[in-house]
Amino acid sequence: MAKEIHDMRTAIRGIGTVGGFGCGADKLHQALVSGQSTPKKIRVKANGREIDMPVFLCDTTALAGFVDKRALRRVDHYSSMAVLGSYLALEDAGMLQNNRQRLAVVIATGYGPTRTTFSFLDSMLADGDTCASPTLFSNSVHNAAAAHVSILLKASGPNLTVSQFELSVPSALLSACQWLEDRQIDAVLFGGVDEYSDVLGYSWQRFFGSTQNTCIEPLNWGLQSAIAGEGSAFFLLTRNDGDQPKYGFITDIQTSHIANGGPDIAGEAVLFLGADGHKLCGPLYSHHISEGTHAASYTPLYGSFPVNTAFDMAIAALSLKENKIFATPGCRPNKSGLRISHIEQDLESKSIACLKFGCNGEFGMVMLAAE
Amino acid sequence: MNHNTPIAVTGIGCLCAAGQNLEQCMDSLFAGRQPSAPPTRFSSSHPVRYPVFEIPDAFTFIGNDKKSEILRTARLAVTAAGEALRDAGWSRAMMQAKRMGVCIGTTVGSAMNNEGFYRDLRRGRHPQMNAVTRFLNSNPAQVIAREFGLTGPCQTVVNACSSGTDAIGLGAFWIRSGICDAVVAGGADELCRVTYNGFISLMIADESLCRPFDAHRKGLNLGEGAAVLVLESEELCRARKQPARARALSYGAACDAYHLTAPAPDGSGLKQALSAALTASKKTAADIGFINAHGTGTPDNDRVESKVLHEMLPGVPFLSTKGYTGHTLGAAGAIEAAFTVACLEAQKIPPSAGFTTLDPELPWPPVQHETDLNGSLAISQSLAFGGNNAVLVFGKGDT
Amino acid sequence: MEEYKKMNTNAKLKDIIIEELNLEDLTPEEIDDDAPLFGEGLGLDSLDAVELVVQVQKHFGVEIKNMEEGRFAFRSINSLGDFIEERIAA
Repeated sequence: MAKEIHDMRTAIRGIGTVGGFGCGADKLHQALVSGQSTPKKIRVKANGREIDMPVFLCDTTALAGFVDKRALRRVDHYSSMAVLGSYLALEDAGMLQNNRQRLAVVIATGYGPTRTTFSFLDSMLADGDTCASPTLFSNSVHNAAAAHVSILLKASGPNLTVSQFELSVPSALLSACQWLEDRQIDAVLFGGVDEYSDVLGYSWQRFFGSTQNTCIEPLNWGLQSAIAGEGSAFFLLTRNDGDQPKYGFITDIQTSHIANGGPDIAGEAVLFLGADGHKLCGPLYSHHISEGTHAASYTPLYGSFPVNTAFDMAIAALSLKENKIFATPGCRPNKSGLRISHIEQDLESKSIACLKFGCNGEFGMVMLAAE
Repeated sequence: MNHNTPIAVTGIGCLCAAGQNLEQCMDSLFAGRQPSAPPTRFSSSHPVRYPVFEIPDAFTFIGNDKKSEILRTARLAVTAAGEALRDAGWSRAMMQAKRMGVCIGTTVGSAMNNEGFYRDLRRGRHPQMNAVTRFLNSNPAQVIAREFGLTGPCQTVVNACSSGTDAIGLGAFWIRSGICDAVVAGGADELCRVTYNGFISLMIADESLCRPFDAHRKGLNLGEGAAVLVLESEELCRARKQPARARALSYGAACDAYHLTAPAPDGSGLKQALSAALTASKKTAADIGFINAHGTGTPDNDRVESKVLHEMLPGVPFLSTKGYTGHTLGAAGAIEAAFTVACLEAQKIPPSAGFTTLDPELPWPPVQHETDLNGSLAISQSLAFGGNNAVLVFGKGDT
Repeated sequence: MEEYKKMNTNAKLKDIIIEELNLEDLTPEEIDDDAPLFGEGLGLDSLDAVELVVQVQKHFGVEIKNMEEGRFAFRSINSLGDFIEERIAA
């Protein structure tokens, strides 16, 4: 099992979220309280027919409130979500005016800028190799988002982008915390970002077929109920300075594979499950979490994509700040055997574990606590 | 352990156009071989056939995943990891008994850009989905972890051209903080038609062999390859009675925060990264024997890099090895770290390939002849799209 | 390409610059035919320069071989228009 990182707590000072529920922590909070978040419909052609697929899409027009439009002319949707999440997190931390020479930018992405990756291929396939677009090419490298964040914020600390599907967030977060421990920098903008693209929608139809569900049922382990989503969730992190940060601390990060044993779940932590309605992964949760464990799942509010652990972390941060567990949204009775709250209640345990399994058995767990 | 504890490098694996293992690569460098040619595995409708540095198809692939099921980049990564682990004397049983992590840099290895699949999709055909499945099974760090049954942290770094350098630095952090006992750290990238066309569109590829730091340099040549270093704590290394081939002393990184593709003209990010690495290693410029520079052969990179080196490390010999290997993108930093360690062992460096004439704009030329080393430390550095700058400081080992 | 054939080269170039370099806040009237495209004037940069090379290839079939040629052609809309028309006529 992973050891604790020298018992060094990483302080969470600001959060910024952009998702299908809207933009900003307020909108996330509203969705958590109401239990409502409605995906849009996207027309997808596959398997010889056209269907309207539900997708949790993001709107980044709020970015205009932070950055001049001309400065955004080469920033695509993937990078826009990251830039917006970053500004929101900095604003929430009250650090928009701070010098950023010692600010690192660490980004996790499951698939990278897929729309631009395929737009670059379009430019070659449509008009020939000599018409391949250099602007699209330079935006199709996975670290483009981190680059745009650094350029627009003038953040000259180290930059890191990590991409490994469902484990991207815990892996990148480990390095974010280690940069702080190393002391070359004093703060990290850490976030997860993934975007929806037509190719993803097409692939979903081919792999999963079209489902009739209108919301994700994360605890219905055997059901394919996933709904595609996209978004960014960013955090302003610093070392533990001895004060009480707004959203508490990251206290541990575990990454491993079920071949080496299941996750080491501390008895008193509430589990936030990154289960997002993929039936291939569902059994991994049911096999490795004891019956009666206090758990919640919020994926129905923002959708299914590899970096959703970052959203669970944002919700955990809000939970720690308000000392409560928001109700798990859901449209059917809970047959999971886990102790799930369908109404808001006090956070008795003071610590939360955000757990995500990848379909090949790898898993990541991020622990957060108030103190 | 604190943040500048030396980490032992106990094994190295390296393959690229220069050779199928580290020894072959170093022979090739010191023999002055520059094995570039127009690409053979793909074609392009550009009128010019830009030279690339390809690995011949029959390279020795090791691994349990069937060749067709994982992409070339992941296969290169596994092969380099295999060589490194053998070199370091790690058996599979030992790997599984200890916590060994894997940290690999890549660019092409994380890109879903299968043209055949996408072309069919665009045309409304019903393509096979195995291109997507193969992509999902080919994340380089995950493939290595799976192949060798590794139980430590797993990370794929996608920092463009500094990925390999970053992966080694980040892997060393894991050991210093006690998260794992050893790390397989490096980078891998295959030559790919999409990337080839992308770099040509940016007008930074040379139609002939690249000439890093030369007055007449016109751009880079792409290459492919992989390199892996086995990193472990001094205690583990001593307990295993395994000599260290080198020591990773420190890692510094910073971002220019300037432009998506061009380096900051004042080299601010590279200066910050060099400064951080030297400070963390508790060494000064006077201690450094040589620098393996990024040296791609593009007008901008070489101008900025040589000015910064002259300012911060005046008089320290430097070279680019990209004239021997091409620019291997995510693998570059790792391949160059491997070369740096090998040069420290041999106590000599080859000439900077492709250099003949000093550019009046550049303050100092790279080494032009095989040169004996003065000093037991070296720097390997990389600059990347997006403005990343990454610097590793290595010290001589026990070999 | 069809709809462009009727417009003159300079007008076409302005549309391409606005559209393909994402300068949507600009109108063609605001782009002076003699103003520098790079540095001051429009303030385009090195990435715009290589993108413009590709757009000129795509819309006019004219190749700009390297950035020495590019720097010469890209001094202004007028110089680029002249460059293109010379190459087409040749």
